[in-house]
Amino acid sequence: MQQIEKAGKKNVTRIFSFLKPLVFSFRYISAKKWFFVVLMIAAVISTVARLLVPVYIGSSVSGIESGNLSLAETFALLIIYASIISGVTRFGVNYIAQYLAQTYAYNLTGDLFSHILRKKFSFYESQTSGDLLSRGTMDVRASMNFIVSTMSQLIPTMLLILVSIYFLFSINPAYSLSFILAVPVLIYLGIVFQRKQRSHWRNIRANYGRMNEELQENIVGQRVVRGFTAEDEEIGKFTGTTQEYYSEYMKVARLRGFYNNLMPFVISAAATSVLLYGGYTTLIARGDVGPLVSVINIFTMMSFPVGFMGRLIVFSENARASIDRISVVLDSRDIEDPVAGEGSPTGFELTMNDVTFHREKRLVLDGVNLSVRRGEVLGIGGKTAAGKSTLVNLIPRFYDPDSGSIKIDGTDIRNFPLRELRRKVALVPQEINVLSGSFLDNIAFGNGEVDRDRAKWAADIAQISGFIESLPESYDSMIGERGITLSGGQKQRVGVARAVYEKPEILILDDATASVDPKTELDMLRAIKNDLKDLSILLVTHRESALKFCDRVLMVENGKLVRKETEEADVHEDPAVFREGGVNIAGDV
Amino acid sequence: MPETYEELEEDLMKSTKGSRVFRRLMGDILSQRRDTAILVTAVMITAVAGTLYPLALGDAINGIVDGNVNLLVLFAASFLGLYLLSFFSNRLRTISSTKLAQRSIKNIRDSAFRTLQNVPVSFYGKIKMGYLISRISNDAESLSDFLTFQLPQVVAGVSTVILSISIMIYLDLGLSLYALIIVPVMMAFTFGIQGKVRRNYLRTRKTIAAVTGSMAENIGAIRAIKSFNVEDRTYQKFDRLNRDNFTANMKAAFVSSFYGASITVIESVGIAIVIVAGAMQLISGAITVGLLVAFIIYVQEFFDPVLQLSQLYNSYQSAAVGLVRIYGIIDSELEKNGAGTSLPVTDWNTLEFKDVGFSYGKSRALERVNLRIERGDKIAIVGHTGAGKTTLSNLVLRFYSPGEGKVTVDGRDLTGIEMKSWRRLVAPVLQDPFLFRGSVMENIRFSRPAVTEDEIEHLATQYGMKEIFESLPEGIQTQVGEMGRNLSEGQRQAISVMRAFIRDSPIMVLDEPTSQIDPYSERIIMDALRIYLKDKTLILITHRFSMVSLADRIIVVDMGQIVDSGNFDELMSRKGVFSELYNLQHGSFADS
Ligand SMILES: Nc1ncnc2c1ncn2[C@@H]1O[C@H](COP(=O)(O)OP(=O)(O)OP(=O)(O)O)[C@@H](O)[C@H]1O
Ligand SMILES: Nc1ncnc2c1ncn2[C@@H]1O[C@H](COP(=O)(O)OP(=O)(O)OP(=O)(O)O)[C@@H](O)[C@H]1O
Ligand SMILES: [Mg+2]
Ligand SMILES: [Mg+2]
Repeated sequence: MQQIEKAGKKNVTRIFSFLKPLVFSFRYISAKKWFFVVLMIAAVISTVARLLVPVYIGSSVSGIESGNLSLAETFALLIIYASIISGVTRFGVNYIAQYLAQTYAYNLTGDLFSHILRKKFSFYESQTSGDLLSRGTMDVRASMNFIVSTMSQLIPTMLLILVSIYFLFSINPAYSLSFILAVPVLIYLGIVFQRKQRSHWRNIRANYGRMNEELQENIVGQRVVRGFTAEDEEIGKFTGTTQEYYSEYMKVARLRGFYNNLMPFVISAAATSVLLYGGYTTLIARGDVGPLVSVINIFTMMSFPVGFMGRLIVFSENARASIDRISVVLDSRDIEDPVAGEGSPTGFELTMNDVTFHREKRLVLDGVNLSVRRGEVLGIGGKTAAGKSTLVNLIPRFYDPDSGSIKIDGTDIRNFPLRELRRKVALVPQEINVLSGSFLDNIAFGNGEVDRDRAKWAADIAQISGFIESLPESYDSMIGERGITLSGGQKQRVGVARAVYEKPEILILDDATASVDPKTELDMLRAIKNDLKDLSILLVTHRESALKFCDRVLMVENGKLVRKETEEADVHEDPAVFREGGVNIAGDV
Repeated sequence: MPETYEELEEDLMKSTKGSRVFRRLMGDILSQRRDTAILVTAVMITAVAGTLYPLALGDAINGIVDGNVNLLVLFAASFLGLYLLSFFSNRLRTISSTKLAQRSIKNIRDSAFRTLQNVPVSFYGKIKMGYLISRISNDAESLSDFLTFQLPQVVAGVSTVILSISIMIYLDLGLSLYALIIVPVMMAFTFGIQGKVRRNYLRTRKTIAAVTGSMAENIGAIRAIKSFNVEDRTYQKFDRLNRDNFTANMKAAFVSSFYGASITVIESVGIAIVIVAGAMQLISGAITVGLLVAFIIYVQEFFDPVLQLSQLYNSYQSAAVGLVRIYGIIDSELEKNGAGTSLPVTDWNTLEFKDVGFSYGKSRALERVNLRIERGDKIAIVGHTGAGKTTLSNLVLRFYSPGEGKVTVDGRDLTGIEMKSWRRLVAPVLQDPFLFRGSVMENIRFSRPAVTEDEIEHLATQYGMKEIFESLPEGIQTQVGEMGRNLSEGQRQAISVMRAFIRDSPIMVLDEPTSQIDPYSERIIMDALRIYLKDKTLILITHRFSMVSLADRIIVVDMGQIVDSGNFDELMSRKGVFSELYNLQHGSFADS
């Protein structure tokens, strides 16, 4: 018994589950409750006024029939008035519906973006930016479309159905029986329709994301594609994705073609049964056919809203698939809080105690101990993939160690607000993110005022001022997106200037000068050391010349930090090696 | 001359007429003959069935009135039959309209992508990635509603309009003129508002592209944003664009809602005119009541599709704006790649730079470069950062063509050689080791899909990269995340080097191939290279002087010019840029 009740409840919720996106949307438009109320009222007025027009037409025809011109004129005017009312309210309905939908899109996009900004670094490794982008754009739009159409059409449609049902009952309850029988069939069809589409919409939305990913990869990596003449393969891949997108759409279209048209057909079948039954009884009773004609007309009128409901289900499934994708971002708890904690690191002594760190279950750092004194330049070397970047990424807390602690002046860095910590610790990564904008924008990137002199000072230290000032617009010259218009070394120096601009207390250069020639590199290091007093520097590098600049050098080896063995360094120092090499090759050829 | 693609597009939008892109789209659609025919047929059948049910219903009612059960059953059955027919025709319509729509969207996206693969490299310096993505994914999507839902309505609507006007004129010409008096008003109104509607949609497309662009760029630069604590400012900037987009959309919504509402009012005026005019004619005895009633019905039937057409109009404007933008991309000038027109090369002997000068837009990068590379040469290019080394390699790879002078292969101008055939002779390691998502293996095989996995494993050992690949969690089968971010920089570079090795082309162009690789691994790679390069030509750009030993000639580039060249000893003895840089890296910098 209870089970049946439960099942019944479940079915009821299922009928309305197509409205779920609307429920989701409420959190973004709840502040606009009143608009919603106005919209409802306007929708009712508009529908009623619209329904009045045919009534007036009928009355004016009767007037004309009786030869009463003034009556006809009156009704003609009434028709215009009713239309004006319906027009104005219709305007209100459409405009408010758009307003609510756009508000929803605006708030959701903003919320999504701020979620994206607040995630931990590890989150971005689980997502691709192309796909994230599609969540932030197309998925928002797909869910918004549902809101527009429900808001502007659902109420008039419902009203139409209710009025029709009312008339149906008032004319002849017997006739309404066939309608009552049709309802469960319609609901059943609706639910099946809904369920069958679901997976396809998911695939459509996922394919859309994939399309974005591929576009992005081919834009960023276009030189690699060309360099290896792989254009045709890439075109093949992309058309494969669009083909899949297309065929998923077609699957939905086939479902839509069947169910969406079957639903109005059910109504027509009901109308036919009324026609037969009603016709037969009328015929036997020799009664008035008028009511029968009206009932059939009502049925005919209803096939439009029923068809619309079918369409709404389509929109709804699209929206639900989108909302699921959006929720992946909104619900992920991979969030960091930039302001929690207190105090501010003074950055005089950095220590690491027995720090371990895993990446994908692999132990990358295994008990690292380290201490850096104020004003010290610490070199960090080690083989490729030894874990150098991993190690330094722990200091500004891009990641947190699995065990062990990192302290600044004895305070665990986890106690500081992230914002304060990152203000004091500047890390120049191996890969620089340059944004489109001017040099000034990019150098004065951190919080605070855009200070031209300070930017120039930072650029001087990073040895990039000469180049920038040689450009016609100097610091206002624009840089292409992703630093596309800069040479490798210029991009890196912009990265260094950006960090120096912040006047950090701990500066970490993670192989940030790998594309810079050794002379410029050394000039830069010297300038940093001279101009930023008391700054501690962690210098990750493969270059001998840079390591020599350091006060102390440690190597990352098997997940531990060990002192550098000096003998190894001398291999390249003997120019003879080069001569030899040169001769060898020359001899070979 | 517009500097950026956005400016170029601005010009394009101003000069292009909506009708022209529409015609082009229709051309694309109509070329899918079978589906167009199916769609039109289906729409027609629905329309005909639609005009027939009232008749069937009427006859069934007559049957009731006449007491004829057979007649009732017959016409009730045909009533249902007509609905069944329209069920099938509507189903066809749904399927074929989606097919036409989605196929056109797919074609447009595919052509845009194809264009992207064939535009000159410089194109990418002018356009933001987010804008491009927005055009190809968002703008194309805006066609969906128009093509799937609205266009079939037009076919149905236009036929109804024509049908009802003809019937009206047939019934009574005079009254028809009254009924149609409102049409010019409506047309004038529509054309009057057109510019506004279009401008509004234009703005929304632009603002959404800005939102997409900003989102794309910020997601790409998220690491910098977080490390510099600029989340708040970034959010505020984004919020401004998001708000602009909201405002633009609301403006567009205003105009389109206003248009829809006005059309309703205009329609009712039309009906009122017919009623009044009809009443007067009726009183003067010119027409009968039956005629007037029929007329009013037809006027309504005529206006219904017109009302739908007005909805279509909004959707059309939004689609047209998107279309202009996508066609703008599709029509971008392609690189002259010489396919079909010029001869391919299969082999080469000398590559020569003759008085080559080159600028990126206004900024000068190379000046009078003369360089001759013979088959089998091994040259190293060194010089300060920003000197023009990468630019030089870009010209070899034909990513760009020289502004002045020329690059020749065996005396033939490189621009006259089929581009792909030349690129097949060259294996590049670019300064930025871009990786695709997928496994490391897939990334390596990218350059030569024919090699088997076993061969690659084998070659990795041979080229001294086994150890680096072993440092990956699942070795060579490790999945590479976006842009290879789950790998260390050195691992990425090693993959990119391996990718070029596998290519097995006669010319290797290596742009700082080991800048992020530790000296120990570098030495192993170098030893491998030495053997590998035996019969090959090497163009090596490097700041690592240890690598220079691979070369038998060193070219020193400074400020876009070749300032010196020679072998190691010669350069060292000359005390120029080279010896200065060399000494810094390997000699006695501490006391300098
Ligand atoms: N796409 C571009 N658009 C405009 N200017 C560019 C572009 N690419 C490079 N440049 C400019 O051309 C000059 C030469 O750059 P190039 O990349 O050839 O230097 P490079 O010698 O490779 O330097 P690095 O050692 O730093 O990589 C630089 O001043 C750079 O700013
Ligand atoms: N985001 C990540 N997710 C999973 N694994 C990672 C990630 N980043 C790095 N790794 C792995 O962790 C190991 C150490 O990488 P790390 O980047 O710290 O090396 P590195 O010493 O900086 O090397 P390089 O000199 O090449 O920059 C590598 O095996 C790498 O594949
Ligand atoms: Mg690293
Ligand atoms: Mg370069």
